[in-house]
Amino acid sequence: MNDIILKEIGKIVIPYIQIFGIYVIFNGHLSPGGGFSGGTVIGASLVLYKLIYGPEMIKKIINYKIVMHSMSIALLAYGILKGYSFITGGADLHLFQIPLGTPGNILSGGLLLPLNIAVGIIVGFTIFAFYSLFDEGEL
Amino acid sequence: MEIFSIIMLLFLVGCSIAVSITKNLLASIIIFMSYSLIMAILWEILNAPDLAITEAAVGAGITTLLFVLTLKRVRGVKK
Repeated sequence: MNDIILKEIGKIVIPYIQIFGIYVIFNGHLSPGGGFSGGTVIGASLVLYKLIYGPEMIKKIINYKIVMHSMSIALLAYGILKGYSFITGGADLHLFQIPLGTPGNILSGGLLLPLNIAVGIIVGFTIFAFYSLFDEGEL
Repeated sequence: MEIFSIIMLLFLVGCSIAVSITKNLLASIIIFMSYSLIMAILWEILNAPDLAITEAAVGAGITTLLFVLTLKRVRGVKK
């Protein structure tokens, strides 16, 4: 699509959408939102980028390898962290616990913040992958 | 706020009936998007802001885009 208005508006709007998505992910344990909501917002911004600037521009930044690597790393991190919390909590072992921090800060709530970040990465790239699969049949 | 919710619910019922009786598929998808948008406002009224964010992003954005792409793929749009 070669529309000058669309491209210039996209340059202004897309960073704000992504910053809002990151805000929703990072404040998931303090305010409404969380990994899934913020991930869908970031995925929508990636879809908008691809829709405006074409598939060649985004292939330089996000290709099949990067999507698969980051989703696998995020899934592994989610499994390890949540499994660790299940083992220490369920079996009543006195292992190392993540410090809880002061309530109300960003760094509080123990494992909720890293789990939210992992879920956000997975959901955002999954929505982008859905759009790519529907559009071209490949990632 | 009571009257506002009732008006929004009436819009919701009207949209959901219009989706099923519209013959043009593209118009049906656009009405479905407005249904999703009204649903996001209703989630906000029902004190569920996180669901409102998700509904506005998924229902009004991603689902509509995927429906339009599928319609383009099966050539359902009349020129």
